[in-house]
Formats: sequence, structure tokens, C-alpha cells
Amino acid sequence: MKILVAVKRVLDYNVKARVNSEGTGIDLANVKMSMNPFDEIAVEEALRIKEAGKADEVIAVSMGVSQSQETIRTALAMGADRGILVETDAELQPLAVAKLLAAIAAREEPGLVIVGKQAIDDDSNQTGQMFAALMDWPQATFASSVEIDGEQMKISREVDGGMESLSMSLPALITTDLRLNEPRYAKLPNIMKAKKKPLDVMSPEDLEVDISSRLKTLKVEEPEQRKAGEIVGSVAELVDKLKNEAKVI
Amino acid sequence: MVDKPQLNPETGSGLDDLRNAFEGRLLFSEADMEPFLIDWRRRYQGSALAVAQPASVDDVVKVVRWCVKNDFYIVPQGGNTGMSGAATPDNGERNIVLSLARINQVRAVDTVNNTITVDAGCTLAQVRQAAEQAGRLFPLSLPSEGSCTIGGNLSTNAGGCQVLRYGNARELCLGLEVVTAAGELWQGLRGLRKDNTGYDLRDLYIGSEGTLGVITAATLKLYPQPAARMTALATVDSPHAALELLGLAQQQLSASLTAFELISDVCLELVAEHFPQCPKPFEDASPYYVLLECSDAESQAHATECFEALLFEASDKGLISDAIIADSIARSNSLWALRENISEAQAAAGKNIKHDISVPISAIGDFVVQTEKQLLSQFPGVRMVVFGHLGDGNLHYNVSPAADLSGAEHADAFVGLQSQINKVTHDAVAAVNGSISAEHGLGVLRRDEAARYKSPVELALMRSVKQALDPHGRMNPGKVLPD
Ligand SMILES: Cc1cc2nc3c(=O)[nH]c(=O)nc-3n(C[C@H](O)[C@H](O)[C@H](O)COP(=O)(O)OP(=O)(O)OC[C@H]3O[C@@H](n4cnc5c(N)ncnc54)[C@H](O)[C@@H]3O)c2cc1C
Repeated sequence: MKILVAVKRVLDYNVKARVNSEGTGIDLANVKMSMNPFDEIAVEEALRIKEAGKADEVIAVSMGVSQSQETIRTALAMGADRGILVETDAELQPLAVAKLLAAIAAREEPGLVIVGKQAIDDDSNQTGQMFAALMDWPQATFASSVEIDGEQMKISREVDGGMESLSMSLPALITTDLRLNEPRYAKLPNIMKAKKKPLDVMSPEDLEVDISSRLKTLKVEEPEQRKAGEIVGSVAELVDKLKNEAKVI
Repeated sequence: MVDKPQLNPETGSGLDDLRNAFEGRLLFSEADMEPFLIDWRRRYQGSALAVAQPASVDDVVKVVRWCVKNDFYIVPQGGNTGMSGAATPDNGERNIVLSLARINQVRAVDTVNNTITVDAGCTLAQVRQAAEQAGRLFPLSLPSEGSCTIGGNLSTNAGGCQVLRYGNARELCLGLEVVTAAGELWQGLRGLRKDNTGYDLRDLYIGSEGTLGVITAATLKLYPQPAARMTALATVDSPHAALELLGLAQQQLSASLTAFELISDVCLELVAEHFPQCPKPFEDASPYYVLLECSDAESQAHATECFEALLFEASDKGLISDAIIADSIARSNSLWALRENISEAQAAAGKNIKHDISVPISAIGDFVVQTEKQLLSQFPGVRMVVFGHLGDGNLHYNVSPAADLSGAEHADAFVGLQSQINKVTHDAVAAVNGSISAEHGLGVLRRDEAARYKSPVELALMRSVKQALDPHGRMNPGKVLPD
């Protein structure tokens, strides 16, 4: 069985996002970019399934600018077998990504596709679900444990007030929750090996997928600055300010 | 309960008088003063008539002059995070703790001159943040940066993890403003890289641990923010191999190499035991590890390329057997956490005897091997907790009791060995022309020990500097120089 994992290059979780000067998006010049943390978990899970002898190959797929190759290399250094980059400078919205992923799935015929439950940049939480719908596959979102048994898979996922257990047949789609696993570090020998692993680059046209955007971003703004607190001298002053300045009582 | 201000019968002056002498805050109740009278490691406790917190430089002048007039001693204090008891007054009755904490404004940032001028009471974190907001880097960085102050950093000539690239506090300072022991203001806030106009007073005050005057402001160097930073942890067999790796890293990365820290396996064991969120990162233990950081001026891709090339070559040469490269900031932080949690893990494991030493980098390998042998032959079973800034020749060479003697009931017996263990270690340091206090200063902790290793000529020169700048011995008595 092949496993396909999607890995996205995003603004590092620990970097403070700043709106660009044109107000059209986030400033990405000279800031640290890393693999989406949920995707690290997806890669880790795929590797564990392979190491348990339940899959033969893990393929890391990314879509976007040419530097996304670095993100694929990270997945390869963790242990994925090969990479595919669908290279484009165009903006990619979840539907476009889902379609590209479906086109690759049609070629590769994986038994399992694992993606993060969301990317920490746009927080869409849509790609996995759209992909499953396009493929007409069963889906298990926000998985916190995965168990594969032949053609069947058991998933638990956190829901309000408890755990839900699902069972479904493969091929299927999983989106990962934070609790699923603790991703490994890339170690030196694997980083060296990763340099030699195959990485195919193709374009959306090669896959004959229409990636045009369905949504238009009008404007991006910083949230309003929180006003500094004020220390008042007495309860009377507090009441007065709440009444006359804040006008909340 | 607040104590009443009292008049000092001897001088006829006292708290009321001092209260009226300046505008800032005066603390005199036992409860208010308590945190200022004990050091960070809770080893030294002293007393004072009051803690003065001036609100301005002018105020500092007034407090110092009041002390001159009324013959009080002055103990300058910043964030009180020092490691040598230098900011804690002795048990005398005529001490005033002069806390700079409320003089804490960033005065100016000059991005063309690449300097920042700040009040002495600014915390290090505050200065780093102000630099970052101006698109610059202030490279001094310490685990205590949220609390320690620039005045304290300069007075102890603090080091930290990036000395290798940017130097210690002294090398980052271009100018000072000082209130002298006589209560005069020396305005030396020059933002000059070159200034050969006589004796360097700035460098006398830096590292003097409050014994010569009160630093009220400083002009500091700024650097460009690197475009990318990368962190790696590599396994090495011995300090000798670590040194070879250092040579290779300096050759290949040159100025981009910003940190090079040695960590022994004992350290990681301790961290894993006391910080469950920091497990040992390799399945197979290695006797030593090196934490490296590079800061690249070009790009993340360039940083990755150079860093990987270095580690591949080190691996080819057999210097390292494995390594982890952190590919996100979170991962990099976890690697640094391994290093930064060592002190606390060691404290949690029980009493230990600390040394903060530096030796010529070329001597480190032999020093570690030889000193371990000597200590083990005299104190069988003791465990060496060795880590530190290898790239600066600076090791935190700490000694823990033997595993079977580490219970609390054995603590006193172990601490009783302190002076003997210090002597073996420090003699070994002296034998290679090293220093018994690399970063933390002398304060009271290492004062007498340092005097033992300095020549009479050096001590006499130091005393004449003290005599010249503080003839009445008013500034921080009992610190740095033995009586
Ligand atoms: C967790 C932790 C980690 C640390 N790590 C490092 C490290 O890696 N490297 C390192 O070098 N140090 C380290 N230190 C110690 C370091 O020296 C201090 O954190 C810092 O430099 C002292 O600043 P402070 O403002 O707290 O000074 P204080 O402790 O208040 O004072 C230190 C000395 O400076 C004098 N002083 C303070 N302010 C002035 C002033 N304005 N004018 C004249 N004299 C003054 C005091 O009298 C005293 O002698 C660490 C400390 C802690 C708690």
C-alpha cells in the first residue's frame, strides 16, 4: 500500500505574523517558514504505519512555490520515500489543493491519504474533506489514533464530551489532530539520504487541474491594538470611569 | 505592618532625611526590603537601612551625595539575578541598597550608527525588544534576560550563548554614563567605535561589580538581524572531538557560527529525569553533545545548505556520529531547552558544587580528562556535570555526589567537600593559565579564591584602581577585593 501525505510550507508557528504594506496579505519576506505542524504529524503517522509493515511507500506531496521543495525535503529527511511538488506561484485555495491532490491520487492510487486537519496560516480546515468528497472516499477527520487492519481502518477522534470511534474500509482519508503523535526529529544519516531521494516537480497544467480562485481577499488588516490598562485609585473612581468613559454601566 | 522611619542617632540623619533628599521611592519596612537583601541563589542575606529606588539620574546623584555626606555604604542593584552574591549588602548597619530598576527608559536608537542608548535599569529583554522593533539585533542574551538589567549586565560583564560571535557585555558597550563614588556625573555616552583619548574609564567600570561607581546609562552596539537561524545538536565522543568540530565549524561558517555549546550525557540524563517534556533526543547515548547555532545573513536556504554541508563533512571525518537539525523554531527551542534546563535539573537533583571556569580553548580537552581523573581519585564516584560555552573556552564544570550518596541525608557531608573540590578544580584551571570566574564575577563567592590565584602585583594594581575611584570604600564594600 502507498500512503500519500500532503505537506504545506507555512509561516513558522513561532513567528509573529505582520500584514504587508499593501494590506493584501501577510509579509513573508525574510521570515522563517516551516512545515505546517499538523502535516508533521501526518508524515509521522504515515512513517509509523510503514514501519509497522502495513505500507510500502510514503509519498510527500506539496503544492505551491518552488521553495516548497525544502518542506518536502524535511518530510524525506524524516523518512518519506519520495516527493512530488506541484509548482505554482498562484494563490492556492483549499478546493484547488483538493483537486490537485485528487489528480495525484488518481495517478498514484494510494490506499491512504493523510493530511493535517488545517494549515496554521489560513486555518481553512477544508482540504481533506473536499478531497474525500472528490474521490468519493470515506473520511476520518481530526484523528487522534489510527489502527490499520488489512483493508479496514479504525480511527478515534475527539468530539464534544468524549471520543468517537469510526471504522471504515480503505482507501480512505485521514486528517490529523495534535494528539495523534509526537513527530520525530530528522537525523543526520536520514538528512543525507533525503538528498538522493526522488522529487518530481510538475505543474497544475500537467495534471490538467483548474486552480482558479473561488474567493477573493479584499483586504488584510491587523487587529485593533488593545488599549493599555489603567490603575484606578479607588472604587468610586472605577465606578465613575465605567459609567462615564467606558459607558458600560 | 510598616516600620516607622527612624532617626539614626549616630549621624543625626536618617530615613526622614534620606526620604527628603530625592524624589524616587524609598523602601524601609522589613517586608518591602526583603527581596533586595537576599541573593538570587539564596545563599547570602544582608541588611540595609533602606532600599532607595531613584526615579532619575539626577536622583541617583542625590542619593549618592546623601550617602557621602552621611557616611553610608552603597550597594548598587539591578535585577538581583547575579550569581556571586555581589548585589547583596553585608550585615552592616550603614548600607543603602541603590536599586536602578525604576530608571528604565530606552533613550535613543540610531539605526545609522547602529547604537541604542538605554537607562541602566532597562531589562535585557526590553533592550532586545527595542532593537528588534528598530529592525536590529542586540545580541546579548541570557536565560535571566526578563529580570536582569543592562546596568547589572555591564557591571558583571555578562556573557551568555552568543559571545563566540558578538563578544560579551563589554564588547557590546561603546559608552557609559556613571555617577561616581563622590556623587559626580560622568557623561561618557559616546557612540564611537574608535576613541583613543587616554585611559579607558568605560572598561574600568564594566565588570567592576558596583565597586567603583553607579552605571546609570549605556550606549550599546546593534547588529543587523540575521535572515535565518538554524540550530543543530550533534553527538561527539569526547571534548577533543568537540574541539575539532569547533575548528571545522569556524572555518566553514566563519562569522555565521553564533553558538557552540558542549553538553555531557550526564546533563541530558538529568534534564530528561526532571523535565519530562525534554526527553533525550537520540536513542543511543553519546558521552558528549554539541549544540550549534548559525545565523545567516542571506537566507534560510543558504543557512540550510551551509549547515548541512558542515555536518556532512563532520560526519565524513568521523567527528560526529549523528545529529539533529531543527527545522522549525519550535524544534530549535526544544533543542535549546535541553541546554537551558540543565542548571535547574541539577538543582532539582540535589546539592552540587559549581565552577564557572575558562581555559584556553586548546587546553579544554586535556583539562576535562585530567580534572575528572583527579577528582575521581580523591572523591570516588562523584559525577561531573559538564556543559558550557565551549566556543569561548568557558565551562560550567559542576560536581555532583556519587549516585548512592545523592540523598538529602548526605547533602551536608558533600557540601563539606566544597573547598577541597574547588581547590582541585581551580588548581587545574590555574595550571593551564585559566580563570576561576569566566562569567559570573567574583562578588563574595569567589573573592578570596580569586585572590589566591592572582599575583601580588595584579592585586596591588587592582587595589590602586579601587583607591583612586572610590577612596572611601563607599561602593559595594567587601566585594571583588578581599579586605
Ligand atoms: C537563570 C540565570 C541564568 C544566568 N545565565 C548567565 C549566563 O549565561 N551568563 C552570564 O554571564 N551570566 C548569567 N547569569 C548571571 C548574570 O550575571 C546576571 O543575570 C546579570 O548579568 C546580572 O544583572 P542584574 O541586573 O540582575 O544585576 P544584579 O544581580 O542586581 O547585580 C550584579 C552586580 O552588578 C552590580 N550592579 C547592578 N547594577 C548596577 C549599576 N547600575 N551600576 C553599578 N553596579 C551595578 C551589583 O552591585 C552587583 O555587583 C544568569 C543568572 C540567572 C539567574
